[in-house]
Amino acid sequence: MAASPKPASFFESSEAGAADRELQRKLENASSRHLDHFAQVKAEYSDYEEERSQSRRIKEHAIAQLDELIVELTEKLKARGCTVFAAATVEEARDYIVSVARNTGARRVVKGKSMTTEEIGLNPALENAGMEVLETDLGEYIVQLRQEPPSHIITPAIHLSKEDIGALFHEKFGIPYTSEPERLTAEARARLREGFLSADLGITGVNFAIAETGTLVVIENEGNGRMSSTMPEVFIAVMGIEKVIPRLADVSHFLEVLARTATGQKLTTYTNFIGGPRREGEVDGPREMHVVILDNGRSTMLADPVMREALYCIRCGACLNVCPVYRHIGGHAYRSPYPGPIGSIVSPNLVGSAAAHLPFASTLCGACKDICPVKIDIPRILLHLRWKETARRDLPKWPAPAARARAGARQFARLARHPSAIRWLGKIGAIALKPFARDGWIKRMPPPFSNWTGIRDFPRPRPRRSKSGADEN
Amino acid sequence: MADLQAIVARVKNALASSRPAPNHTAPRPPSLQPDGHRAELVSCFARELEAVGARIVGPVGPEQLADRVGAIVRERGVKSIAVGEGVVLDLGQVGNTLGESGIDVIRTGAVDGSTRPELRRQLAQVDAGLAEADYAIASTGTLAVLSDETRPSALTLLPPASLVVVRVDRLKADLASALTALGRGALEEHRLTLITGPSRTADIEKRIVMGVHGPKSLDVIVVWPRDD
Repeated sequence: MAASPKPASFFESSEAGAADRELQRKLENASSRHLDHFAQVKAEYSDYEEERSQSRRIKEHAIAQLDELIVELTEKLKARGCTVFAAATVEEARDYIVSVARNTGARRVVKGKSMTTEEIGLNPALENAGMEVLETDLGEYIVQLRQEPPSHIITPAIHLSKEDIGALFHEKFGIPYTSEPERLTAEARARLREGFLSADLGITGVNFAIAETGTLVVIENEGNGRMSSTMPEVFIAVMGIEKVIPRLADVSHFLEVLARTATGQKLTTYTNFIGGPRREGEVDGPREMHVVILDNGRSTMLADPVMREALYCIRCGACLNVCPVYRHIGGHAYRSPYPGPIGSIVSPNLVGSAAAHLPFASTLCGACKDICPVKIDIPRILLHLRWKETARRDLPKWPAPAARARAGARQFARLARHPSAIRWLGKIGAIALKPFARDGWIKRMPPPFSNWTGIRDFPRPRPRRSKSGADEN
Repeated sequence: MADLQAIVARVKNALASSRPAPNHTAPRPPSLQPDGHRAELVSCFARELEAVGARIVGPVGPEQLADRVGAIVRERGVKSIAVGEGVVLDLGQVGNTLGESGIDVIRTGAVDGSTRPELRRQLAQVDAGLAEADYAIASTGTLAVLSDETRPSALTLLPPASLVVVRVDRLKADLASALTALGRGALEEHRLTLITGPSRTADIEKRIVMGVHGPKSLDVIVVWPRDD
């Protein structure tokens, strides 16, 4: 099958990631630290399975009555003076936020970490409108300085070492080179503090929206979410429609689960409960508050009974940390604001056909499903999306790929009963393949084998070791 | 709000084909388990605060509070401090004592259009902020702080040293109990911040660094009246 341009670029970016040993070292380092922390806090749960089931039940309940909850939330927020804007598409959300920024006369915008604003491509839109946009989460600030997108939804600069960041600060700010995280953090603090105090507009995402009280919950560790939502005169919160939960009584459960799975903490340092603009006499809080509620494909996911559970995701990032593919190629290879296993199931719906190939970039090992705090069956959805994409494309009708695969498997089963035949074929194969190998890999072969090598590389067959340890062949 | 109605209609349609019955009809009963022995709660709270890089001081009697705050302020090298109004304790008295000992004390209070920028500027310049928490959570080492006219959120955010006082009867076993004690009404009226340790980041190689945007240090003083 002919590869369309987008998958080709995915092959290039994933191949680049896979060849980058240094990147894998950083990802392994960060992921294993994360998993250690998680194991420690998880051990304190008497029954983690029950905690996961509880999260699942609340989300199922919330999504089942999402239409009513959105109305309840909106009415509460409006009653306290918020302006609520419902955006069907990324363009509508972007245009609205840019128009609020223009009406405010904003010159400088401070942002808390928000994957939803990455999804709507907000920063370039604000910059094109002549505004300075400062990402204020330290990791986001670092990748913004490098003019890169984040590579992880919780740890945006996971692909960078402290030496990389030291070199970046030296180059951008002209400060003496240092790789000490404390000194780099202090430098960023001083620069961003100035930004917070002078910004005209603050923007953050939302982790949970409590319908019953009309409260937006924003969690963070650094204090930049607090700053962005209290310092500027105008504040905009951006959320997907799926963030609504019914009651205040539901939120404590999620706050504990999310902190544990996302960062291995019992609770994040700051949890902000935001209900509206500042009131008469108050010192901080915005004069004007807007809430943008984004659909952008989410209601389509909701209508598909298999896809629906993807909307239960609380964006903890745990599935990225356990995914062998993510850990091998890194977040940038996915070319979507949402990388990793969860990204591979939501991106085709949120980004569209440009991400249609992502469900195929998985080994279906199931580690994501096992760690997911809301028990999303990611492998099942990946298969569902593969099936949909395959059905959509015009593939040869006969022999059907499945029938060919079955025939191949039958042939192999017959051969496998004769070990000597296998060995003999292996030797012939190794000799026959030798001319196609470059640097130990076979990447290109003539048709019909190009169907395989067009999308997969495999190592050159090597002389086998016999049981005695001596080289055969 | 035609747009909102359109989205709600789309959601309704999407659910129409197979809307599952709500399966979570009652909220989990808020864990209003008895708060346990106070001494146990305090020691659990202390352990969790230390785990997140904060420091616990006390318990102290209300009459000792001003002296203990004075000692922390000297130890941290604080020259100027912003003091918010108390919830159930008298922080005004603490502010007076600090002022008498030569510390520059700024008091927060209701503002209007002309006084607001000045107070904010001052809050951004002082070395420390002193506030009282509405509740504290033992199992996570968390402070629950509402903000209003006399207690701006900036008090526990802008100054590099944060001092927070809490009375021992305001210490709850877990987050659910603290939110239940606060009540829905408080959330509808005020902004609530849960604070668990000093501001921190792990964005550079997952190494923990304190004081990225908010306070670098957090001292929590537990007040335990003798007759309680």
